Amino acid sequence: MLRVRDGVGEMLGVLFDRYHSPLYNFYCKLTGDRTLSEDLVQEVFFRILKYRQTYRPGTPFRAWVYQIARNTRIDHFRKQKPEVEWEVEMSPAVVPTDSAQQKQEAELLHRALLELSEEKREVLVLSRFQDLKYEEIARLMGCEVNTVKVRVHRALQELRQIFQRLTDASAIPSSRTPRTSEESSGV
Amino acid sequence: MKCEEIAQLLPDYLGRSLKQDKIKLVEDHIGQCAECGAQVAIWQKLSLIPDEQPSPMLRSRFEAMLNAYEEGKSEKRSLAAEHRSTVGWNFWSWMRAPLAQAAFALIFLAAGFLVGRHVEGDRQGTTGNTQELAALHQELTSTRQLVALSLLQQQSASERLQGVTWSTRVGQPDPEILGALLHTLRYDASVDVRLAALDALRHFGDEQQVRSGLVDALPRQQSPLVQIALIDLLVELRDADAVQRLKNFEQTPNLNPAVRQRVQWGVKQLSRG
Repeated sequence: MLRVRDGVGEMLGVLFDRYHSPLYNFYCKLTGDRTLSEDLVQEVFFRILKYRQTYRPGTPFRAWVYQIARNTRIDHFRKQKPEVEWEVEMSPAVVPTDSAQQKQEAELLHRALLELSEEKREVLVLSRFQDLKYEEIARLMGCEVNTVKVRVHRALQELRQIFQRLTDASAIPSSRTPRTSEESSGV
Repeated sequence: MKCEEIAQLLPDYLGRSLKQDKIKLVEDHIGQCAECGAQVAIWQKLSLIPDEQPSPMLRSRFEAMLNAYEEGKSEKRSLAAEHRSTVGWNFWSWMRAPLAQAAFALIFLAAGFLVGRHVEGDRQGTTGNTQELAALHQELTSTRQLVALSLLQQQSASERLQGVTWSTRVGQPDPEILGALLHTLRYDASVDVRLAALDALRHFGDEQQVRSGLVDALPRQQSPLVQIALIDLLVELRDADAVQRLKNFEQTPNLNPAVRQRVQWGVKQLSRG
């Protein structure tokens, strides 16, 4: 990691091997947009190369990478309004072992995830899919560890409700009005 | 224990950072409390969302960037100069690497497209700009065609795959692109590339050139996978000529049993419609 800072380009290749897939999945789950996710990953590595001098030796490297990843996304959406619409393409392309029902559940879950607020979605993606510890997330977001835990808890509650609504809607199309009132209440 | 107390422990339980003695407390509770149990269930269910695989394009773009960096370094340009003209530096380095050229073109296109959209948003309604936009669009389309065509002729299968992907981004494909795709479908050495080409051609199923090309491609295919995908597409397109060709194809000796079955199914589907 230190060698990146010292300007050895080959090391960036090692970092790419290690981080491109997790970062790509981080963005896919947050945005639901594959093309955009690839653009953002590319931008992250460009920034790593460009700002490698800002990495402080001795600090966790992963945290630094995710800090860049977060900023990259924030900068992108500052220029462009976030569109987190579900694209049909996002449904898993080939999942040979999964049953059709599991595939549908996965799709509904991802849609539910995209309906969460930015803050809640990010905290869930980081903790559940990127395997970041609450302490790491707290440092990343500049808040208390307890705040992160509360967010996880609320995010899950809301996710459950949205998922339930989507499941109901897909099972009995247009015969039930979606429940929305209690979703924002939280704990 | 009450739900509120459990709620404080749950995130740590889910994150597997809860102390051993507390784990049992939580597990006992969620065994009895449906509400807290559902919380754990949805967390676990999230694992159903599969991991995505980035396209080979991502790596090519990264390597293009790295090449640019390496070349810049080997020329021993000073860091200050790099800072002064990052764009120019990248540009000239990229122009030299063949793989990077394609990637550079793609990035340039993406940027152009974004600018185009921006311009469109900003200045809607004025006719002069509409013409400009149309010209820009035309330019974009032809450059995309160029990129697709050059990628389809690459040595590496992943680059040819990219070419196929690019060809679908050309809104109105010209006969040259379609010809290249059909050629890929017939002769490409890689099954993956052939399947991708078939998928790309699906978008242009209304073109007569594509329809006849698809029917012609069937007897030449060696891979049962591609054969079955082709039959499915012919059925999907409901091509009138396809029935007789399928029947002829069924007579081919040594046909894979699964393919033969699919042909029979296809004939039935097409005759019914």
